[in-house]
Amino acid sequence: MIPLRTIIYIFCLFLLSHGARGQERTQLKGRVLDAEGNPVAHVSLRIQSSDTGTSSDSDGNFNLLYRRGDTLGVSAVGYISQTISLMSQTDLTVTLLKSQDALDEVIVVGYGTQKKGEVTSAIASVKAEDFTQGTVKDAGQLIQGKVAGLRITTPNGDPNSTSQINLRGLNSINGSQNPLVIIDGIPGSLNTVAPEDIESIDVLKDGAAAAIYGTRATSGVILITTRRNNATENRTAITYNNYANIQTLFRRPDMLSAADYRRLIAEGEAYTDLGATTDWIDEVTQQPFSHNHNVALFGGNNRTNFTGSVNYRNWEGVLLKSGQERLNVRAELNHDMFDGKLKSNMQVINQSIKALQGGASDYMWRQAIIRNPTDRVFNEDGKWQERDAYMYDNPLSMIHESVNDRVFRETRLNGSLDYRPVDGLSVKMLLSRVQENDLYGSSTSFDHVNTTKNNLNGTASRTTYAATENLMELTATYNKTFGQHKVGALAGYSWQDRTSENFYAYNFDFPTDNYSYNKLESGMALQRGMAQMTSYKDKWKLAGFFARLTYSYKERYMIMASVRREGSSTFGENYKWGSFPAISLGWDMAKEEFLAENELIGQLKLRAGFGVTGTIASSSYMSQTSYNFQQGQGAYINGRWVPGFVPSRNFNPDLRWEKKYEYNVGVDFSMLNNRVYGSLDYYSRRVRDLLYQFNVPSPPYLYSSMMLNAGEMSNQGFEALINVDVIQRGDWKWKTTLTFATNKNKLINLSNEQFNVTVPFFEAGYTGEPIQMSTHRVEVGRAIGDFFVWKTVGVDENGKWLIENRAGETIPIADASPDDRQYYGNGIPDANIGWNNSFSFRNIDFSFSFRGAFGHQVLNMTRMYYENPVNKAYNALKTAYDPVYGKRLTNDLVYVSHYIEDADFLKLDNVTFGYTFKPGIVKGIDRLRIYVSGLNLLTITGYKGLDPEATSYTGDFTFAPGIEHRDRYPTTRTFTAGLNVSF
Amino acid sequence: MSKFNTIQYKKWIGMLLSCCLLCQGCTDLSEEVFSEVLEKDYRPAERDLPYILAPVYASFRSLMFGWQGYFDLQEESADHIITPVRPNGWDDAGTYRRMHQHTWNAVQWQPYNTWQQAYASITKANLVIMQIEDGSLPLPADVGNAAIAELRAARALAYYLLLDNHGNVPIVTDYRDVSLPDQKNRKQLYEFVVNELQEVIPMLSEDVEPMYGRMNVWAARALLAKIFLNAEVYIGTPAWENVIEQTDIIINANKYRLDTDYKNVFSSTNHGSPEIIFAVPYDEVYGHGSQIHMKTLDPLSRLVYNMAAGPWGGNCAVPQFIDTYDADDQRLYDSWIQGPQYHATTGELVINYVKSVPGIGGDGTVAPSNAGYRIGKYEIKKGATNNLDNDYPMFRYADILMMKAEALLRTGKENAAAELVSAVRERAFRSNPEKAVVTGADLLKGSVYNYGWQDKDGTVSGTGGGDIRYGRFLDELGWEFTAEAHRRQDIIRFGVFQTKSWFNHNPHPNAISRTLFPIPNDELNKNPKLTQNPGY
Repeated sequence: MIPLRTIIYIFCLFLLSHGARGQERTQLKGRVLDAEGNPVAHVSLRIQSSDTGTSSDSDGNFNLLYRRGDTLGVSAVGYISQTISLMSQTDLTVTLLKSQDALDEVIVVGYGTQKKGEVTSAIASVKAEDFTQGTVKDAGQLIQGKVAGLRITTPNGDPNSTSQINLRGLNSINGSQNPLVIIDGIPGSLNTVAPEDIESIDVLKDGAAAAIYGTRATSGVILITTRRNNATENRTAITYNNYANIQTLFRRPDMLSAADYRRLIAEGEAYTDLGATTDWIDEVTQQPFSHNHNVALFGGNNRTNFTGSVNYRNWEGVLLKSGQERLNVRAELNHDMFDGKLKSNMQVINQSIKALQGGASDYMWRQAIIRNPTDRVFNEDGKWQERDAYMYDNPLSMIHESVNDRVFRETRLNGSLDYRPVDGLSVKMLLSRVQENDLYGSSTSFDHVNTTKNNLNGTASRTTYAATENLMELTATYNKTFGQHKVGALAGYSWQDRTSENFYAYNFDFPTDNYSYNKLESGMALQRGMAQMTSYKDKWKLAGFFARLTYSYKERYMIMASVRREGSSTFGENYKWGSFPAISLGWDMAKEEFLAENELIGQLKLRAGFGVTGTIASSSYMSQTSYNFQQGQGAYINGRWVPGFVPSRNFNPDLRWEKKYEYNVGVDFSMLNNRVYGSLDYYSRRVRDLLYQFNVPSPPYLYSSMMLNAGEMSNQGFEALINVDVIQRGDWKWKTTLTFATNKNKLINLSNEQFNVTVPFFEAGYTGEPIQMSTHRVEVGRAIGDFFVWKTVGVDENGKWLIENRAGETIPIADASPDDRQYYGNGIPDANIGWNNSFSFRNIDFSFSFRGAFGHQVLNMTRMYYENPVNKAYNALKTAYDPVYGKRLTNDLVYVSHYIEDADFLKLDNVTFGYTFKPGIVKGIDRLRIYVSGLNLLTITGYKGLDPEATSYTGDFTFAPGIEHRDRYPTTRTFTAGLNVSF
Repeated sequence: MSKFNTIQYKKWIGMLLSCCLLCQGCTDLSEEVFSEVLEKDYRPAERDLPYILAPVYASFRSLMFGWQGYFDLQEESADHIITPVRPNGWDDAGTYRRMHQHTWNAVQWQPYNTWQQAYASITKANLVIMQIEDGSLPLPADVGNAAIAELRAARALAYYLLLDNHGNVPIVTDYRDVSLPDQKNRKQLYEFVVNELQEVIPMLSEDVEPMYGRMNVWAARALLAKIFLNAEVYIGTPAWENVIEQTDIIINANKYRLDTDYKNVFSSTNHGSPEIIFAVPYDEVYGHGSQIHMKTLDPLSRLVYNMAAGPWGGNCAVPQFIDTYDADDQRLYDSWIQGPQYHATTGELVINYVKSVPGIGGDGTVAPSNAGYRIGKYEIKKGATNNLDNDYPMFRYADILMMKAEALLRTGKENAAAELVSAVRERAFRSNPEKAVVTGADLLKGSVYNYGWQDKDGTVSGTGGGDIRYGRFLDELGWEFTAEAHRRQDIIRFGVFQTKSWFNHNPHPNAISRTLFPIPNDELNKNPKLTQNPGY
């Protein structure tokens, strides 16, 4: 109720706040000096309401006219900008302070903030003005290409998917690769809040920075700070952001057309002409139109302030009947009591996602690609034309005769009390509860192949998932400056638990398909014992005690030490607790006597840090000695079928933490009055006690694998971030930022002495049928992501592959054994770069960014399956009939190195062109900007597939990165037009 | 704000903080388990025995008819069944071709699948034996002893599969011992299995129906007979007399008899057949895993059976084998789906399965989707789902008669053998009863199977089967037991596996080594005490 009342209140304030403005103009004469009293030239002086202005001359003097009540903006490179209210002044001396802009910037660190100049670990910070603009899926995409070492990709064009994110390589085998995402102190995900509501994103990259988050921090920590009312004076503001976009397929596979079929039939190829002409890709795609609206309100006074926002998004996908509608509502209230001694905060975030979709699945996409282009959509009865062939269904019937609905609701409630009894001391309690409810409904109608081919008479299912996550944190911080000594201390306790539950029911054989999934009990399969039902519940708990000390002397020598003692319920009785220490040092040489006089260098901070972080078991109960009743383990005993009672797993009560030890050295620098600044980092991380689903001998073990702590993996890399304010002269600004990161991964060993097991390698990835081979091999001593494949060296006169065998001889593929496979390329890029540019000239702003990845290969699965003329039952690429090694291929489909391509690419990813209107052009509007933007515009690559970046490196592909899968939601190119308004 | 209030506030916060810090739950990280049964919370009793026994048998379901399971292992390496490359795929990196041409190696999945499922059953049996012995599953002594006997017999069955396929494998009987087990040779394994069975036979149930799908005394004796039948292959010394002894006990007990109709033994309701001694029960609802029809039928056959699933279109009969049948042998039609197939409701022609198959593939040959007769032995009922109801008869009465007949034949009593063979043939030649009768002299003839390499056009060049000792008896085994996962073992025993060509198979250069499958590579890697079988 409070939010609503406050909204009305703020709205009233807003309406009342418009006063009359004076009309007469006053002459102002002034001078700009620096702190030492020297004149400053080339200072920009602008009357903000009229967008007129001047700049100071070589003696620092200036002249201008103003109206009473105008605001004068004073800015110059290397100095802190100021605004001055002009009431009746006629002459004015402005004293500019040298900016330590970059150094005074506040960085969010775990459980607090720090001045950037004092940070001793590898932390990247991206502020709102540097975010990716236009259509942005989630927080990840906002900082794509802007943080060195953070690889963010969009593997598909599904509006329901989130971006893929990876920090400093692959660091765990079974643990999550996703970084811990903290939103205003509360764990969440990249799409918990709307991108428009985000003020800044800070990324804790190295172990020293992340160790304060202990066990969840191995993949890094992303700290999201939402926009809030930080004003200490009365302020009300409303901003409105809106955009609309259209998408097109980024590229489409070039399959044989109906005309090609007919030509090839005339040439004697064994295709079947079914008489029609259909472009199946056109049939299953649409021109999606999406729009997004964001309204934010800021209001309050120095005691109580309020931030609220509403974000509505309605996105369509490029595949028919796919899309998502989302509403995010956020309200935050801050209140100060007892002269600032007690600060209270309350925040509510509510998110609801509705996706009412048809059957546009990855598998549908395959059907659209392989379907005979001379086939028709409908048969003579007006029904979907189906064919009785293996894995061959009409993609349009899949889309239109399936319902896949999802309604997701998340409510996040949190509040904190911050008590500051004496100067420098703060005792804070934070409580949070996150509730998630996910409800799915799926059905297929009587015209779906489930019924027209498989006689199921309609299918329907419902799935529901609910989770409650509680968090309590108590922290005490003490910050005090004693002369040249600055001391900070933090101690805290954290408790987190999460309970998850799900339920699923499936039925078929319905009397009608009118019910969709809304009357499951009417299906007869339930009575026949063919329906399905599952339910599940689990819970984990995590408790931690943590402390941190920071000390800096003259902002010249800095040290940070922290430790977290953390316990997780998921580990064995004797191994629940682990300790995660960290230490880092900093030395800003620029502050030393010998450099203090140097005008060139503003900062030259050397950093070195070490930290230990952990990885939790990916699911609960892995250390439990427990059993389950399972139908699949049942048998016919004593005249009836009974479920079987079996151990849930091979028991391992000694399961313990996986730990990552990381060294990081770096330098933060700034030169030429902060016009060039950035940081360089080198890291070396080693993960020990890898949690791994280890293959164990069977016999004696029941199951041939079990979760063990075994093995070691290392990652090393170099990261660079360089910002250059290339031009900052009067109306002209050009800022360019370059990020560069390398990563080198090595699996050092996989063995466990307790269980006396060693694994030299394991195979990963899977081609799918009809090839049925693994794609990658992970071997001790090598990097994750190596393809393992028969290496093709030619094609014989019969059109069969010739491959290189173990001995290096050329043999026909028919004689090849699996032992003849060899390593061939790697799917993880050696280096990633990002290059971001923003220009502004008067009211015009323009930005573009490039992203690239180098030193990696991609398995082009589309070519592997469809660039082969042998399989006449399915459509093929136009290139299928092109000669390979001068011959026409007659080989069966097979996984060979021919389809693994160099995939280096450089992408023109985001181009935005904006125009900001003069203030006051519309009465009551402070700022009005319109823009157009394009995403994923151009790719420069030698890769022949659809999109070299459209590869997954999570889930099933963790060890099989670099596969551009044939079954996937295709990536798109997006064109956006948008509007930003503030009142 | 008055000072009083401030103090109140401070006190309140202080209390709140101390409450939180002092509460016991703050460091309590014991797991709360909801969807699993914790060992410490579960006290099983006698009534729970069926649930505890069930997993030991459950493994046999996926073992037998599972994807690339035991059935494929026994049939695709032999001379009856092939999986050729089809228009919709079925190359699968040559895995079926390797089965056919005996070019498999230690990473071939089919033999590993059998290894895994056999040891899963063994380890689960060890677990239950331990639970009964240590009292964690408290049972009355008689119930406990009977259960242990049954579990040891079931375990022996699993070890028999390893004896037959992998030969030199570890023997593990104690669930608690998780040290790396030593490898035993085939002879040691043979002796272990024979001893186990002989020890438990006196304690096993003689019941038939209540023990359906489980190891009763008759199943154990049938297994023992089977092992003795192959003793010469396993240990180099034949044991024909032991075969006769065991089969006679079963025959004389009069518990089982030949079914009047061959089809009944394999029907979707074959549980009732009086011929079945030990079956692996499957069920459309409760006991999933029999997908034999899915692999063999072309997708179009869905319309013929009005199926609730789309079959995959893969394996079929070797044309040379089909040529061996007498046209009047009813088993040709009861075992193989052939000729035109008609729509279940409209009666339209859907597909016409022809006998000829151009080749296994790999050389660019693609077998048309209707090439080859399909496995029709296991009745596919109208409206079948992707899981068949038919139980797999691992040991049946005809097998007992034929084992005895073979032992008689090989010990010079061919006329007595012929009587048994004629008895088994009788129901296959109802319309021509005179053809059912074979003589001892017939059984001494060679095989009518035209062994040799088949070209794409169907011509066969090779030595034929006339030179095979007792070849006619091997033919009899083929006709009676085709598609029952017997064939590999049978043709090894008759020397055909090692020496003959059929379809696109020529004898492997190191043919003798192929009579055992390799120790799976993954297991060699995990257990350094294992050494690979010779020839791999």
